[in-house]
Amino acid sequence: MDVYTITVLANIALFSFLAISAWLLLLVGEISFGQQAYFAIGAYTGGVSTAVLQLPFGIALLMAIAAGGLFAGLVAIPAMRLSGLHFSIASLAFAELVRSVLNVFQYQRWVDGYLTGPDGVNGFRDIRWIYDAGIDPGTYFLMILGCLSVVMLGVVMASYGRGMTIVRSVGENRRLAAAQGMNATRVRIITASVAGAIAALGGTLYAHMATYIEPAQFGLMIGVHSLAYGLIGGMGTVFGPLLGVLIDIGALETLRIFSGYRMIFFGGLVALVLIMRPRGILDEATVAKVQRWLRG
Amino acid sequence: MMLKLEGMSKHFGGVKAVDDVSLTMNEGEIFGLIGPNGSGKSTTINLITGLYAPTSGTVSLEGRDLTALAQHERTALGVARTFQNIRLFGNLSVAENLWVAQNGHKQRRQHFISRWFKAGGLQDTNIDELLRFSRLHSKKDSLASALSFGEMRRLEMARALASNPKVLLLDEPAAGASIEDGQLLGERIRAVRDRGVSILLIEHMMELVMGITDRMAVLNFGRKIAEGTPSDIQSNPDVRAAYLGTKNKNKEPADA
Repeated sequence: MDVYTITVLANIALFSFLAISAWLLLLVGEISFGQQAYFAIGAYTGGVSTAVLQLPFGIALLMAIAAGGLFAGLVAIPAMRLSGLHFSIASLAFAELVRSVLNVFQYQRWVDGYLTGPDGVNGFRDIRWIYDAGIDPGTYFLMILGCLSVVMLGVVMASYGRGMTIVRSVGENRRLAAAQGMNATRVRIITASVAGAIAALGGTLYAHMATYIEPAQFGLMIGVHSLAYGLIGGMGTVFGPLLGVLIDIGALETLRIFSGYRMIFFGGLVALVLIMRPRGILDEATVAKVQRWLRG
Repeated sequence: MMLKLEGMSKHFGGVKAVDDVSLTMNEGEIFGLIGPNGSGKSTTINLITGLYAPTSGTVSLEGRDLTALAQHERTALGVARTFQNIRLFGNLSVAENLWVAQNGHKQRRQHFISRWFKAGGLQDTNIDELLRFSRLHSKKDSLASALSFGEMRRLEMARALASNPKVLLLDEPAAGASIEDGQLLGERIRAVRDRGVSILLIEHMMELVMGITDRMAVLNFGRKIAEGTPSDIQSNPDVRAAYLGTKNKNKEPADA
């Protein structure tokens, strides 16, 4: 595979983390425009861990996951008292807050003759772990794919057990879930925290592939796209958000015939899907049918 | 006794939705609660399940005071209800709806891993039996939103039974059903009672209430105006007055 193909595939995989993150919040009943905040937190945490603190890559991943989960959980504690539009605006406000903080956040150190670390609006350059470790792009793509598979396997197992049933029941009608004894608030906070951790894992993988990150990369449009992926792809299965990413990045952004018209096609597609299939292409009814068919 | 309300009142501002109501339900009884619209029947159910906190009075189950307990704690102790307007998780399957009802109130932290990730969460349970009892077994994996109205009603009752209640509160289960459906429903309610569940039935379909209840009480403007067997109630003049109005002998007819 040439480097271009690998980059496109890696982008699809990296956006999938964000898409799954926003999709989890959709399942628990909230529309978040702010998952890019945790992607950014993961990118900066992971970048600082390897580039500035010289920690091993595995530790950097764990620290990013912990930071994403922690921040998302802390934000969720007050935010989950809101719902609907109010929650969406709070998520948006927090994401912009994170971006503004990163714009002034400086933490630079001399490492091996390089000055590295976050430098406010000037960005954070020389996150060089994959070069120092001698990892070629193809291998790194497989590492991203491995992490994505672990995340998706976790969701599939939680669907096969009953974890996703708990999340979906709270998302569909949290008062009814509470009337049946569910601690709806706890389920919502835990789900938001897991979603934040998944976005942060994607963010740190992105930072090490790009080697340079800056606050402007984590703007609102990233969050809106990640949300739209789940809406297009479908709420029924974790492959829904993945399908959304494939359609947008795999087709609209990459194919020449769409060049320049990507956003028009994408916006039209979102509108069309929401009218024709309000819960996405792979919605719950479709998934239930496929499951029945598989069982014979 | 199974369920006991003592001096129960619920005031919304100046409106006495429920006013000093006392009721005693015996174990294994089908107890009817009737009254004109706005007489406080649904409020009474909401007080028993804990959706509302009473202005005064107590509610107890098998002698245990429930008044201070939250909804899910009462569910765990054995109080379940159905809703007048069906409330199901439309995007969950029939089996999943029952699983949520059965497990939602269980605070089993030690089983976190098995609950979230282990396969076959439905197998160690009586959900299959409940699906057969409710004649929904063939629809097990269908989404609840894809069911017919009658099937939704059956699922609503099965969902209430899944939490293994001692007392089941039925809020107008025959709403929207025909007389024939009402007779079938009567048989189903008896079958539920035969499983060892005491039943409080709120219903407007008089054929149903009179046919299957052991005892009943009548509410009017939040107060209990009568209590007794169906035949006592049918001959009670206060009840007739509440439903049909009274002849006011002092007043001249308007067109005279």
